Amino acid sequence: MKFLAGENIPELLEKLSLLSEVWAPRELRGSGGTVMFERWRSGDPLDLEHFASLSAKDMVLPRTEKLFGFSYAFGGAAVGNPFGAPAESAGGIPATAGESIRITAAEPAGNVVLFGARACDAKALTVLDALFDQTDGKGYNDPQYRARRAGLTVITLACVTSDPACFCSSFENGTAEKAGSDLILYPVDGGFLAEAVTPKGETVIESGVNSRNKVGSARGPGDSDPETGEAASGLTLFEESALETPVLAVTAKVEGLEGLRQKLAAIFDDLEFWQAETEKCISCGYCTYACPTCHCFNIHDEMRGDREGVRLRSWDACMFHLYTQETSGHNPRPTLAHRYRNRINHKFSYYPENQGEILCTGCGRCIRGCPVGLDIRDVLRQAVECSASPGEGGDR
Amino acid sequence: MSDIVSIIQRVLGDVDLVLGWTATGAGGVAAPARFQTAAEAERAVFNATCVHNLAVHLPRLKDQTVGIVAKGCDSRSVAQLIQEREIDRDRVKVIGVRGLGGSIDVRKIWRFHGYGVPVDARTDSLFIDGKEVDRQEFLRQKCLGCRDMDPVIYDELFEASGSSITGIADAATVETALSETGLGTSLTAAEAMSAAGEDESRPLGELFAKMNSAERRLFWREQYSRCIRCYACREACPMCFCRDVCIMQTTDPHWTGAGVDAGEAEMMQLIRVNHLAGRCTGCGECERACPVGIPLMLLMNKQNQVIEELFGYRAGTDLEARPPLLTFDIKGDSRSEK
Repeated sequence: MKFLAGENIPELLEKLSLLSEVWAPRELRGSGGTVMFERWRSGDPLDLEHFASLSAKDMVLPRTEKLFGFSYAFGGAAVGNPFGAPAESAGGIPATAGESIRITAAEPAGNVVLFGARACDAKALTVLDALFDQTDGKGYNDPQYRARRAGLTVITLACVTSDPACFCSSFENGTAEKAGSDLILYPVDGGFLAEAVTPKGETVIESGVNSRNKVGSARGPGDSDPETGEAASGLTLFEESALETPVLAVTAKVEGLEGLRQKLAAIFDDLEFWQAETEKCISCGYCTYACPTCHCFNIHDEMRGDREGVRLRSWDACMFHLYTQETSGHNPRPTLAHRYRNRINHKFSYYPENQGEILCTGCGRCIRGCPVGLDIRDVLRQAVECSASPGEGGDR
Repeated sequence: MSDIVSIIQRVLGDVDLVLGWTATGAGGVAAPARFQTAAEAERAVFNATCVHNLAVHLPRLKDQTVGIVAKGCDSRSVAQLIQEREIDRDRVKVIGVRGLGGSIDVRKIWRFHGYGVPVDARTDSLFIDGKEVDRQEFLRQKCLGCRDMDPVIYDELFEASGSSITGIADAATVETALSETGLGTSLTAAEAMSAAGEDESRPLGELFAKMNSAERRLFWREQYSRCIRCYACREACPMCFCRDVCIMQTTDPHWTGAGVDAGEAEMMQLIRVNHLAGRCTGCGECERACPVGIPLMLLMNKQNQVIEELFGYRAGTDLEARPPLLTFDIKGDSRSEK
């Protein structure tokens, strides 16, 4: 494998930022220690130690994106203006016969390198692909998503440590998951071992051509390959290394997730169960916004004046009352319990059924950041337990 | 003196449910819970990680009689909700907590000691991973300037026997810091922010107070630019009870754009702040719930201070008082034009 010295990371990012936007985690100033993926520019600090509060999903599904712009073009004077006033002052009148609507495409997304994602962040991208990047009719062929996804290179930082909120080991590969990553960096003494998973990842290694003479650069102890001194002389930031990859962290495992779909179906109508699980929830929506796989969005038009505007797509959350509010006033998910039930079912039942992937990668953000200390793992355990003892469950 | 469990069990004789805490929240700290039976109440705890303002649940539980464990600050929210007739005094039993001595900022502990580190946060001492540390260091910022050690209203009293807060004397709070209008300094927003980064114990408000208006604008632009419009600030607020008719999400009229950028976020926050004028009790839940760490209490504290100066009113401190900005009095004393 290749070795990348920790001190060379800024130089690598600078090289990458010549051709792409680079996003990397850093602590935000004045935020009380909040770490987020932010646009990296030369000289910006990095925080590769703490876990980012929000996921990296806005690389492919931005908080807000312009889908297209539109404007009404006049076919003739005063057409569609029943009041006879000058067309400019006709308040909010939609295009009618004689008018046409001009659509302007959104600017194409550029290339992005995401540096410092974790395995759970990267895996989440493939989970989203199952919905947004499909041409076989099972999901959607979402052009904006696909363009962003195609232009995205993911450099993942392998987890050698974890915290009690992590639970990726509940899923197939845990911290060793490679799906979604283009290049994986394994922390070792003095730097990282780099493993290219995809051709994009190989491109990153190739782009690490070193312009400076690296002889005598500081190396970590234990890396005494006599070749490296020469190999590093002015060629590349990535040097050949015989180091072993480190032992990765093993995170918490939620048992009984197999067949959870049937178990959730068994307690679907047990509203008391869902009420009990959500009694402390304040439906703030943090869990959905921080989640790397939650992808609900809203589409809305923002007008500038009466005659032109943009159609935007923005994040939305199923934990909000308005999310399923119908025009008639009826709301099929009137209470928090209904909404949370949907959230859990969507993640562990509907999405696996429709898209073949569990809509969760065990990143633990919804647990770590919940203002009322709600732990999704407890809910899953209770669901398993409750459905396992139908007599008791039926009484709830 | 009664322990919290027996007080809750006693109150359960009069109400449908009691809002309190159990010790079983994520990360091993207290989390809000509802108790409906004496057996359930056996799980109740009270410690310095009971940071949540449970009054946020009251407007959602109007069809039930509710008991609520309320710290001094939380009791102000209960009182203000009663003043606004959002909830009925007769249907709420308040278990006031007296002499807590401040609650603990668990996120600060997690930040320096790792998420989920064992925390024993008593009301008079603090142990992290079994070692006693200076409790004062991990107090919530808002507790340092506490003026509400005693609950405003209560039906039962729980004595928390907490340690005294030594920060009160110098009152290094945002509220006082903001009172020094520091126009004309050469401190830029960025400099102020990096200074804050160097010394986390220094209240942001102190630095903020040194900025001139252009610098403040820069400062807030930077803060708002990371807002993701998740509305956690609103949902966590006990006084934001409009729920599904909130101005932020109405489409007709379309008061705020739904796009996510610093300008829209600024508009949204300024509207929210204004809607809380004379209503905000300073509980800080908005700031605590903010996933991207926007210091919302800088805005709230400033406004609360102005309201106090103008009207001599602190929200939720007097059940009989009429909230100044909820009163339309055509011949009111405050109007010079009759």
